[in-house]
Amino acid sequence: MIVCLAVVGHENNPLYIQSFTESDDALKLHHIVHCSLDVIDERVNNPKKSSPTINEAFLGLLYPTENYKVYGYLTNTKVKFILVTTDLDIRDADVRNVSLLFFRKFHAAYVDAVSNPFHIPGKKITSKTFRERVSSIVKSFGLSSAS
Amino acid sequence: MEEYPEELRTPPVALTCLVGCPEVHPLITAYLHSQQPPINAIALPDFSNIPVIPPKKSPTDTPSAPLAGIIKRDWLSKHRTRIPAVLAAIFTSCDLSADPAHWLQLCSHLDNLKASIRGRNIKLVLLLVTNWDNKDDTSEERILALRKRAEVDLKNLIIFVPDHEEELQKSLNRQVPIEVFGLTSIIFLKVWTVFGELAATYYRDEGRRVRSRLEKKNYTSIELYIRYCFKVAIYAEFRRDWLEALKFYEDAYHGLREMVGTSTRMPPIQRLVEIKAVAEQLHFKMSTLLLHGGKVLEAIMWFRQHTANYRKLVGSPEVIFLHWEWLSRQYMVFAQLLETSSPNDALYVPSTASVPEEKPTEWEFYPAYYYQLAATYMKEKNTCLEFALSMSVDVGPIDGSAESVVASAYLGQYSRLLEHEDTFIMQPLTDEEYAHYALAEGKRFQDSFEIIALLKKSFEAYSSSKAERAAAYCGLQMAREYFCLNDFSNAKQMFDSVANLYRREGWLLSLWEVLGYLRECSKGMSSAKDFIEYSLEMASLPEATGSVESFANGCGPAGPATHSEREKIHKEAFEVSRGELTLNSDEQNSAFKVNTDNPLYLEIDLISPLRATLIPLVAFHHPTVKPGAPSLITISLRSQLPINVEIDQLEVQFNQSECNFIISNGQKPQTGLNSNIQPGHRVETAPDLVLATNKWLRLTYEIKSDLSGKLECIYVIARIGPNFTICCRAESPASMNDSPLWKFENLLETIPIKDPGLALSGQKAIQVEEPDPQVDLILGSSGPALVGESFILPVTVSSKGHAVHSGELKINLVDTRGGGLLSPREEPFSSDNLHVELVDMSCDTPGDQSEAPSDNIQKIQPSFGLISVPSLGVGESWSCKLKIKWNRPKPIMLYVSLGYSPQSDEPSLQKVHVHKSLQIEGKTAVAINHWYMLPFRQDPLLLSKLKSVSETDQAPSLALNEKTMFIISVKNCSEVPLKLLSMSIETEEKSSACTIQPQQEEFREAVVNMPGEEFKKVFTIFPKVNSSKLKIGTVSLRWERGEQPHSNTNASQVTKHRLPDVSVELPLLVVSSECPPHAFLGSPFLYSVKILNQTEMLQEIKCSISDSQSFVLSGPHSDTMLVLPRSAQVLAYMLVPLGLGSLQLPRVSVTSVRYSAGLQPSTGSSLVFVYPAKPHIDLKPGDA
Repeated sequence: MIVCLAVVGHENNPLYIQSFTESDDALKLHHIVHCSLDVIDERVNNPKKSSPTINEAFLGLLYPTENYKVYGYLTNTKVKFILVTTDLDIRDADVRNVSLLFFRKFHAAYVDAVSNPFHIPGKKITSKTFRERVSSIVKSFGLSSAS
Repeated sequence: MEEYPEELRTPPVALTCLVGCPEVHPLITAYLHSQQPPINAIALPDFSNIPVIPPKKSPTDTPSAPLAGIIKRDWLSKHRTRIPAVLAAIFTSCDLSADPAHWLQLCSHLDNLKASIRGRNIKLVLLLVTNWDNKDDTSEERILALRKRAEVDLKNLIIFVPDHEEELQKSLNRQVPIEVFGLTSIIFLKVWTVFGELAATYYRDEGRRVRSRLEKKNYTSIELYIRYCFKVAIYAEFRRDWLEALKFYEDAYHGLREMVGTSTRMPPIQRLVEIKAVAEQLHFKMSTLLLHGGKVLEAIMWFRQHTANYRKLVGSPEVIFLHWEWLSRQYMVFAQLLETSSPNDALYVPSTASVPEEKPTEWEFYPAYYYQLAATYMKEKNTCLEFALSMSVDVGPIDGSAESVVASAYLGQYSRLLEHEDTFIMQPLTDEEYAHYALAEGKRFQDSFEIIALLKKSFEAYSSSKAERAAAYCGLQMAREYFCLNDFSNAKQMFDSVANLYRREGWLLSLWEVLGYLRECSKGMSSAKDFIEYSLEMASLPEATGSVESFANGCGPAGPATHSEREKIHKEAFEVSRGELTLNSDEQNSAFKVNTDNPLYLEIDLISPLRATLIPLVAFHHPTVKPGAPSLITISLRSQLPINVEIDQLEVQFNQSECNFIISNGQKPQTGLNSNIQPGHRVETAPDLVLATNKWLRLTYEIKSDLSGKLECIYVIARIGPNFTICCRAESPASMNDSPLWKFENLLETIPIKDPGLALSGQKAIQVEEPDPQVDLILGSSGPALVGESFILPVTVSSKGHAVHSGELKINLVDTRGGGLLSPREEPFSSDNLHVELVDMSCDTPGDQSEAPSDNIQKIQPSFGLISVPSLGVGESWSCKLKIKWNRPKPIMLYVSLGYSPQSDEPSLQKVHVHKSLQIEGKTAVAINHWYMLPFRQDPLLLSKLKSVSETDQAPSLALNEKTMFIISVKNCSEVPLKLLSMSIETEEKSSACTIQPQQEEFREAVVNMPGEEFKKVFTIFPKVNSSKLKIGTVSLRWERGEQPHSNTNASQVTKHRLPDVSVELPLLVVSSECPPHAFLGSPFLYSVKILNQTEMLQEIKCSISDSQSFVLSGPHSDTMLVLPRSAQVLAYMLVPLGLGSLQLPRVSVTSVRYSAGLQPSTGSSLVFVYPAKPHIDLKPGDA
């Protein structure tokens, strides 16, 4: 299940962050997202250590925490997407395909949101439409991974 | 890792036992221990010590009795320290050769020994210690008998000769190859080999024995299976067969895993505890083996598997903390293992083949990751423990029932120790009792310090690998832990560093939480200033963009990051600042109240996080202003605080303190604030000073400064209430930038000043100009300067409205085309190279003012001069003259600047400057030219002229011993008339080379040469030396300006012109024609052409004469003749003129055959004037 989604800007500042949990661990998810930026930094700065998939936008599993798995995605404009899930038991190959698909959809939504002429590039995303669209994407993936 | 027993942490080492003959024990044990692989030895001095070895219990293969546990706690240590694989009985040769009674005793010892190891398969070795001297004395029969009695093979009987004590010692200490040494060393090696072999056999046999049970499925329960696997693995480790060990550990581990759901042997809580304890031990063994084998990846995968297997097995809720403790220990131990065994570079060895599952991520190779998780679980344990403790109030610290609980014989089991009639009975516990015991145990330990230690390790490791965000998260957790311990100073330090990162990257919610903690810390430390600072920062944080997150709880003491919460914090902060609320920390009773004795003073600089709370922008409306003239200044203030703030008084401070002014709030009585107003300072009153959220409060005032220079606003100080002051550093609107927290907010952009241009470019500083000068600086120009002369330029300073005090005149000469006045790439200050230089400055000191010369600063450099101007009253004037000399023609720019102060009292301040500049051309005065001329009607044939290809390259050739004329012409190139005074030629070489006439001529009356005019003078030269390069000399012309502007400096200048070198050569032939200057009509006259041959050769000359209508002639018309060497031939013609006037003589052309050179006399030289008749004047000779 997807518990948190974040868009992080160039200066590692959060542009959009939304969590999908009922409980009060939003702050903890903030910390997890923030810490995962270190892994992205390392992976981007030392490409030889990681897999040959570096040319892809999808960064793969960033790190597993005790309850969550964190996946990363880096757009061409160096905006980072970070996804926190609780699907701990799914095999990596499946997760990879599913999360890649998810990121693609999310990327499209993000591009639409920032293409809004009233959006100032580099500022936080406050669009309600974007929020709704993201929620629906998350919901559809929540269903598909559960089934 | 330290909590594990020694035997578990180190690889097992084979154990032997030495009995009897204690004097050789140290030698043998030391040697065995030093070899690779080492062998441990128990040394028993006497045969009576044998019962140390535990006897073998009778096999309890009664299937009915259920197994009490999985692995016995002391089984491993028993095999590592107490049950030897090899038992060595040591006898001396004396024992053997002694009397029968002795022998009998020996035999009984041996029997005892055999009895004690019966059933255990322990190998027996005999060691016979003998002296070197009587080595052969020992009787063979006795040895044989002994061997038989002991039932020992021949190879297991070693005769030991420890004679060469020193040598032996040496060999032991040095550990050099044994072959080098003698017999004794070989014996030692033999002892070690035999022991090693026997031990290996022992452990292999034991292992096999247990393994056969496994293979035959000869076990009744899964517990036994696990135990057998464990034993096989340990025996394999004894033999250093790591692969087999690993395999059986894995088998045991898997077996254990199966047990989890099925076992019913014990009460559920204790059952799980036991399983986990065994699993922990098995996993530890596996990880150690894998990591030491360099298989980091496998170890990590195993660890992942391990934690995944057991994470969910939390067990009964009342002892759930035990689970977290256990899990935390798994992580910590693995981190320690990873840390101690990682030879870092081998970390990323790809061995993906054996790892089909997903690969570990980068961080799973870092011990920091595991330490952090260990700390997290430890924290979880702490929370659960506290909860459990709070639920069961009856757990007292001193509780008899809990105290008597000890660890039982089986790993992971506990039981009650009961003292019953001198014997101790282990009584199994119920789960309730166990839980009680566990709680009591858990209470004894302070987990916080352990959590902090773990986090610190993680923090340091993350920091060193430049993962600053992960490190910050660890720091945050650490700080929270310190906070829980009420260690506020440590907590604050950590929180502060974490807050910096969140501020920089704009993580609002995290920052909110940290600031909330910091606020509490400063409360705890009774620091009102910090409390207010953190409160204000929190209150002025951006709104977390309406998402669910902002309302999330769990933000620590700060509460949810909502608008209402910010308002609450805001109110509280201002209540404290007004002294209405006492800052009271709960723990310490030191209350802190803001009052007149403890005023509050905050400073906000350009990097302070409080800039969002109050930011003052100051902009002058103009970049420059005249002194004393008013200028407008706008002060814009903005606050992001959620509630309006009313400022009582604003003070604006400048670098010129007399400009400071105070703006007071018209709505508020200024009681208590008047002490800040200094007498004489300006006080303005604003209608109100209320700051609304994100709205600029703009205040525009006039400001005047009398001092020229920079006027800069430095501070804007806001006073709120009598004891609260915020001092902000003023900022320019042009250079304002938002903090990262606000930069990314979608906020309504407001401009600080109404004028948008000013909002973008306004500056907090203004340049106050100098007052207008009221002094004239006059440069008297007198046209262009002439090269060579000292050009005089008068400079006049005349005061019109200002008195001049401590004036200084600076003069600069600058090339108009830029650059200095020096010719390029030439050495400075050598006057030859200077094109233009300032020679002198002279001032006519007024007679009545006799100033000391020390006051007169005067400094002259070639292109710079400085002269001090005496004090002048209003209306007075002063002048000086500059003398500038041009060495080359060059236009220059002369800059003269006068700096003075109108008042005599403050010489250093407020100088007024007047600048003037003048372009002056430097021109060449005269151009001197020259040319040579031959005497009339005489043409020498010079060989060089025949050969010359291009005339221009050649130096002019003069004929030797012939008179040549040359003409010097002087042209006035300037625009003023010049007076020429004299002209002379200075010969350079010895005078015998040539004579020049005249040498020098002083003009009796100065020749006035008007602009553009040319003046010529004729000289004659008579070369006497045949030279290809004759230096003639230099023409010197002395001149002066025709009309002198300043007669007192009537100096004449000399212009020199060097005459080029000439070549002098002997002419081969000289043709000279002779003819009277005039003739009379009809009367004949003689026209002769003389050809002089100066060579040593006969010259053939062709000559011809052309007919002319004006003359009748007689003579050879066309002829060839020979001229003898060094002689002359004359062609004579008699002519009778037929016409009148200036007539052209018949042209005679002479051609030298040898040199193919012909002479055509020029038309000018062949004219004669014919008169109609002889004039009737009697021309007497000498009258002309």
